[in-house]
Amino acid sequence: MIKKEMIYRNPLVNLGYENEDILSNGGFGAVLAYAGVGKTALLVQVALNAMLREQPILHVSLNDAVSKVDVWYQELFHNIAANSGVAEVSEYWDKIQPYRFIMTFKVEGFSAPKLEERLTDLLQQNIFKPHMVIIDGFKFDEAGRGQLVQLKELARKYFMSVWFTVHTHRHEPPQDNGLPLSFLHVADLFDVIVQLAAKGDEVYIKSLKGKSTDSTQDSLILDPATMLIKNGK
Amino acid sequence: MKIEDQKLRNIGISAHIDSGKTTLTERILYYTKRIHAIHDVKGKDGVGATMDSMELEKERGITIASAATYCEWRGHEINIIDTPGHVDFTIEVERSLRVLDGAILVLCSVGGVQSQSITVDRQMKRYKVPCIAFINKCDRSGANPFRVISQLRTKLGHNAVAMQIPIGLENETEGVVDLVGMKALYFDGDNGEIVREAEIPQNLLEEAKVKREELIDAASLFSDELTDAILNEAEITSELMYAALRKGTLERKITPVYMGSAYKNKAIQPLLDGVNYLLPCPSEVENVAMDMDKNEEIVTLENDPEKPIVALVFKLEDGQYGQLTYIRVYQGTLAKGSTIVNIRNGKKVKVGRVVRMHAEQMEDVEYLRAGYIGALFGIECSSGDTFTSPGINLTMISMYVPKPVISLAIVPKDNKSQLAMAKALNRFSKEDPTFKTFVDAETNDTIIEGMGELHLDIYVERMRREYGADVTTGKPRVAYRETITQRAEFNYTHKKQTGGAGQFGRIAGYLEPISDAEFIFENKIFGGAIPTQYIPACEKGFKQSMAKGPKLEFPITGVKVVINDGASHAVDSSDMAFQAAARGAFKDAYLRAKPVVHEPIMKVVVETPVEFQGPVMGLLNQRRGMIIGSQDEDVMCVIEAQVPLAEMFGFSTILRSATQGKAQFTMEFAIYRQVPQSIAEKIALEAAENKKSAA
Repeated sequence: MIKKEMIYRNPLVNLGYENEDILSNGGFGAVLAYAGVGKTALLVQVALNAMLREQPILHVSLNDAVSKVDVWYQELFHNIAANSGVAEVSEYWDKIQPYRFIMTFKVEGFSAPKLEERLTDLLQQNIFKPHMVIIDGFKFDEAGRGQLVQLKELARKYFMSVWFTVHTHRHEPPQDNGLPLSFLHVADLFDVIVQLAAKGDEVYIKSLKGKSTDSTQDSLILDPATMLIKNGK
Repeated sequence: MKIEDQKLRNIGISAHIDSGKTTLTERILYYTKRIHAIHDVKGKDGVGATMDSMELEKERGITIASAATYCEWRGHEINIIDTPGHVDFTIEVERSLRVLDGAILVLCSVGGVQSQSITVDRQMKRYKVPCIAFINKCDRSGANPFRVISQLRTKLGHNAVAMQIPIGLENETEGVVDLVGMKALYFDGDNGEIVREAEIPQNLLEEAKVKREELIDAASLFSDELTDAILNEAEITSELMYAALRKGTLERKITPVYMGSAYKNKAIQPLLDGVNYLLPCPSEVENVAMDMDKNEEIVTLENDPEKPIVALVFKLEDGQYGQLTYIRVYQGTLAKGSTIVNIRNGKKVKVGRVVRMHAEQMEDVEYLRAGYIGALFGIECSSGDTFTSPGINLTMISMYVPKPVISLAIVPKDNKSQLAMAKALNRFSKEDPTFKTFVDAETNDTIIEGMGELHLDIYVERMRREYGADVTTGKPRVAYRETITQRAEFNYTHKKQTGGAGQFGRIAGYLEPISDAEFIFENKIFGGAIPTQYIPACEKGFKQSMAKGPKLEFPITGVKVVINDGASHAVDSSDMAFQAAARGAFKDAYLRAKPVVHEPIMKVVVETPVEFQGPVMGLLNQRRGMIIGSQDEDVMCVIEAQVPLAEMFGFSTILRSATQGKAQFTMEFAIYRQVPQSIAEKIALEAAENKKSAA
C-alpha cells in the first residue's frame, strides 16, 4: 500500500500555461533544442506528470530502443520520487507504469498511417488508449508539412495531444520569432512551443508560443545533474 | 595438416524444418565422397540420412542434435555442422553459429522464407555469420526461386542476388545456368555426380544476360576493379566477380543465391564451389576471448597454430565409445598428448584420442590446428567450456543461452527407471545448457526445465528410448511466493509440561515488510530478557517459518523480524523451546501482517513479422501482460512485455499458430509482483485442494 501520494506538477505549467494538460485534444506542442540539451528528459517529465494523473502516454521514439526509453522514465521517476520523499518507489512505479506505452520505429519507417495502424491494434483490442503522445526524433527538416497535417488529423480523430522534440542546429540561426527556419513551415500547426537553451552550466526553458498573456514567469531552469526543473526565474 | 587455412571452411547448414537440409548435407557428403550411398531422411530404406544419427530423429524426420562432419571439395576442406530447424532446439543452432565461420541458408523454393527461416536468419545476424543461400526443392510443383529471392529481400532484408537461373522447374528440372561463368550445368549419372557443362539454351540466353547484369551490378559495389572493368567495358572475369562477391558476402552486405534440388541431385556441386569461393576461411573471421586475469578484458585470438591453445567445447555426445567432446580450436594446435586446462574448473587434462567426425563414424587424427573442428575422447567437461594451454586464462565469450521457460515434474516408474533417468538427466544437462534439472526439496520430485514443451517432450522421449527410463510427467508449475504488507506485533509464549523437563520460551517483537532482502533478523533485546545463548535458536525458528507460509504454503520472502522482549526459565528453556516459540510467534503475527501472494513476472520479448503485431499484442494482453513497448525493425517487430509466468504455459504453441510459426519469443525472469486479488483467491483454492488431495 502506498502511504504517501506523489505530488509532481507538470514542469511546464510554471511557464504560465493554464492547466496541467497544457495541450487540448488534437493540440501539438514542441520542445526545441540543440542535440543533447534535454528535450527527451523534459518531455519524459511531462509524461510522468500525466502518468501520475493516470493519463495514458504513448511514447514514440524514432531514435532509441524501447529499453533505452524505459531507462529515461525510470531515472527521472526515481529523481522525482527522491525529491518527493516517497519511500515505496518501486510500488509506485508498478502503479504508474501501465499508463505508458513505448513504440519505436526506424525514422524512415515512421508515418502517420503506420502510427494509426499500430494505434488501431491497441485500441481494437482494448490494450491501450493514449491521452497524450510524445514523438521523439521526428525529422522536421526532412518531413513535409503533409506528414504533420496527417498526424494532426490523427490526433484529433483519437482525441490525443501530441508533443514533439525538435532538433535544432547550431548552423541555423533562429528567425525573429526565435524559431529555426526548418521549423517555420509547420509552426502554425503548433499550439505550444518551448525552447531549451544551455547557458553556462544551466539549461533554460523558455516559452516561445502559447503561454497565458498574464504570466509573469519568463523561463525555468533545468538542473543538468537530475534533468529536473530547478526553479523559476 | 595438409590443408592450408585459406582452403578451410567451417560452415553450418541452417534452415527451416523440412526445407531439405539433411538431404542436402547427405548429397554434399556423397559428392565429396565421404559416403558412397544416398539414404532418405525418413529412413524408408531402414538406414536414414547419415547426419541424423539419433533414432528419434530418423523417425520424426527432423534433425535434433547437430552432428559435425567434414569433407573435401576441390582442394578445400569443409567442416559441416548440420543444425536443427525447430524453434525449441535453437540452442543447437546458436551453438553451431558460435563456432562456424559461414553458413548456407537453405530455403524451400515452394514455401520460401517462412517461420524458422526468419528465426535462423536472426540468429545468423546475431553472430554476424556470412551466408550464401540455397533454394532447394526446385523440382517441386509450385517452385519459384525468384519469388524466394524477392522474399529474401523483403522479409529478411538480404541483398540477395541470383548466382544461377534454373534450367526447367518442377518436374522439368534439368540443371542451372551459372551466371558467373555463363554456361549451362547439367548433372548426369545415376546420382547427378557427373557435372556436364554446355552452352546456355537459346530460350534462356536473354534471361541469363539480364540476371548476370544484375549480379555484376550488385557485385560492383564491393570492388573498384570490377567497377573499372565495367566502365572500361573490359572483360569481366570470373575471378573478378568472385572476389567482389566474396568481399560483399564476408561483410554480410550481399547474399549470393544458388538453387537446385538436393533430392533430385541437381546443382549441389556448384553450391560447394560457392562455399569455396564465397564463404570465409577461419583467419578471415575475428574471434575474441576474455582474459580472466585482466578483469575479462577482450582479447582478439590469432588463428595461428604456433600460439597457445584456445578451444571451445560446443557439443557433447554420448556415443557408443563414451563421451565425445566436439571442439573448435581458435588458436594454437590441439595435439594428441598435449596438456590443456579447463578454464571453468582449472582442471588439467591430457588429450587422448583426437578425431574428426563424420556423423557416427570417425577418423583419428594427430592434431587439430587453429580453425579446425573435431572431437576429443575421454574429456570430462560441459558444453561451452573453454580449454587453453596451461598458463593462460582466456575464456571464450559465453554463448548466448536463453533461460528455460517451462518446468515439469518427472517421476520414474521403478528403481531401474530411476537409475536410468539420473544417468540421462546428467547427460542431457551437460549436453544442453538450456536443459536444467533439480530435485524439488519440498515434493522430492525431479523437475526438468527447458525451452518449450517440445524441447522437454523430446528429452522425455529420449529418456525412454535411449536410456530405457520409464517416466511419467506432471503439470508445469509456477514458483509463487508470499510476503507481508504491514507491521504486526507478536508476544508469544511456548510452554509445555508433559512430564520430564518442560519447555518454556517467550518472544516478543514485530514483523515488518522489507523490499530489498529475503529475511532480516534483528535482536533489540537489552537486559537479557532472553539469554544470549538462545538468540540464534530464535533466529533459526523464524527462518524455518519462512520456508512455508502458514496459509498457502509458498515460501515467504521480504520479512524483517525484530525481537525486543521475552522471557526464559532457568530449567525449562532450551534451544528447542525458543525455536518453537519463534515458530509460534511468526505464525501468530504473520496473518495479522496482511500476507499476499507474489508471482514471478517474466520479461517476454516476442519477435514477429509486423503483420502479426496486433494479434501478438492481443495474446500478451489476454495473459495479464503489460506491454512495455514495441519496436519496429523493418520487416520484423519486437514486442516487449511483462507477463506472469503462470499465464505463459502453452504460449509457444499459441504464438506459433497465431503467427503461422513466424514469431519467436524469449522469456526471462524480471520481478516478483503481487498477484491480483481474484487470482490470489484462485491460487488459494488450488492450494487448499492440493493440500486436501495430499492428505
